[in-house]
Amino acid sequence: MYDLSTVIDVPRLAAVDPGTSFLISGPAMTGTDAIAMDVLAGGAARGEGAVAVTTQGSAETIIEAIQERSPGADPRHLAAIDCRRDGDGRAGAIGESYRYQVADPSDVTGMGVGITNSFDRLQGSGVDRIRFGLVTLSTMLTYADEETIFKFCHVLSSRIDAAGYLGAFTIDEGAHDAKTLQVLKQPFDAILEVREQDGGREARVRGFGSDPTDWVPLRG
Amino acid sequence: MSYSDDPVVLVIEDDPEVAETYRLWLEDEVDVRVAEDGADGLERLDPAVDIVLLDRRMPGLSGDEVLAEIRRRDLDCRVAMVTAVEPDFDILEMGFDAYLSKPLKRSTLVETVEQLLERASYDSLLQEYYALVEKRATLDATTNQAELARSEEYASLREEIDRLQSALADTLDGIEDDEDFVTTIRRLGDEN
Repeated sequence: MYDLSTVIDVPRLAAVDPGTSFLISGPAMTGTDAIAMDVLAGGAARGEGAVAVTTQGSAETIIEAIQERSPGADPRHLAAIDCRRDGDGRAGAIGESYRYQVADPSDVTGMGVGITNSFDRLQGSGVDRIRFGLVTLSTMLTYADEETIFKFCHVLSSRIDAAGYLGAFTIDEGAHDAKTLQVLKQPFDAILEVREQDGGREARVRGFGSDPTDWVPLRG
Repeated sequence: MSYSDDPVVLVIEDDPEVAETYRLWLEDEVDVRVAEDGADGLERLDPAVDIVLLDRRMPGLSGDEVLAEIRRRDLDCRVAMVTAVEPDFDILEMGFDAYLSKPLKRSTLVETVEQLLERASYDSLLQEYYALVEKRATLDATTNQAELARSEEYASLREEIDRLQSALADTLDGIEDDEDFVTTIRRLGDEN
């Protein structure tokens, strides 16, 4: 089981089934990406692997973000796939962590290869539990159509399910219409919703075949 | 033209005895077309072909050139490359869907064809699944919820979506294998 309750304090997240994928959805500036990093770092602190696909921040930024949150994390258990279009194109390691460079946020084939390499590498270094993060689907949607992104999410969440890993995908709910948001929720087992309320941030969990949880405050 | 619903495999092989052997191994399960070289193969290639079994080294057009033409024509078929040499490159980067080493065993060929057909099946299911999910999302966004709750068509749509979701979970073991994963994703990238 994967314990995500340190990220969002609801009982339902304390024992999440292996193979589960979440969509983390909220308006811009509500820190959905930071939540995804918290999920990955929480696992890294427990000796689980972390693989992140980034469309905006650099691979270094991602690895550093995880290490800052979990200073004891083994760098060999971390991997980042950099999809930035104007990424500097340097492949190769970041210290002892793995980096893979992809052409741009529409290069799903490159992402598929990078993700597979990362999973293989982490398994090779002894981890069998991996938390996967993708930041963000909204950026991918500016480069590829809804159909491609839907299928990509379905295939990837299926792969995560078959492997018993955990997936966290982020989306800016303000950037898409209601129809697109509903289509993109379909491939996921649960949705983590984030909102601003009374000057602070709150989150709740929908899915897992039951009613939504109550809104709980988020740190920071 | 195919007169049946059986899948179609096009064998492009310049040794007629080898080609005939492949035909014998496969004809119980699929319709087999045989071409004796690359140019002949390209002539026999049409949208009905599901899988191309291609010898890499042939006189005239090489396997690589035939592969390039298949991709250029944007045909929805999978290509298995047959080669005498164990490749030292990543086949996925080369654009094949599978490679087979000579001499080919019957079980290897049959299993590979079955695997490729299963991937094709997965793609079709995924396409249908998206179309229906999109349709339902459009209805939800534009139609009164009370009306939808009364609609038999909407109820059928939801059932069909559930059915497709299960069918996908049962195909390719729900994407357990790395090669299935990368080749399936690659086709999304090609369509984009």
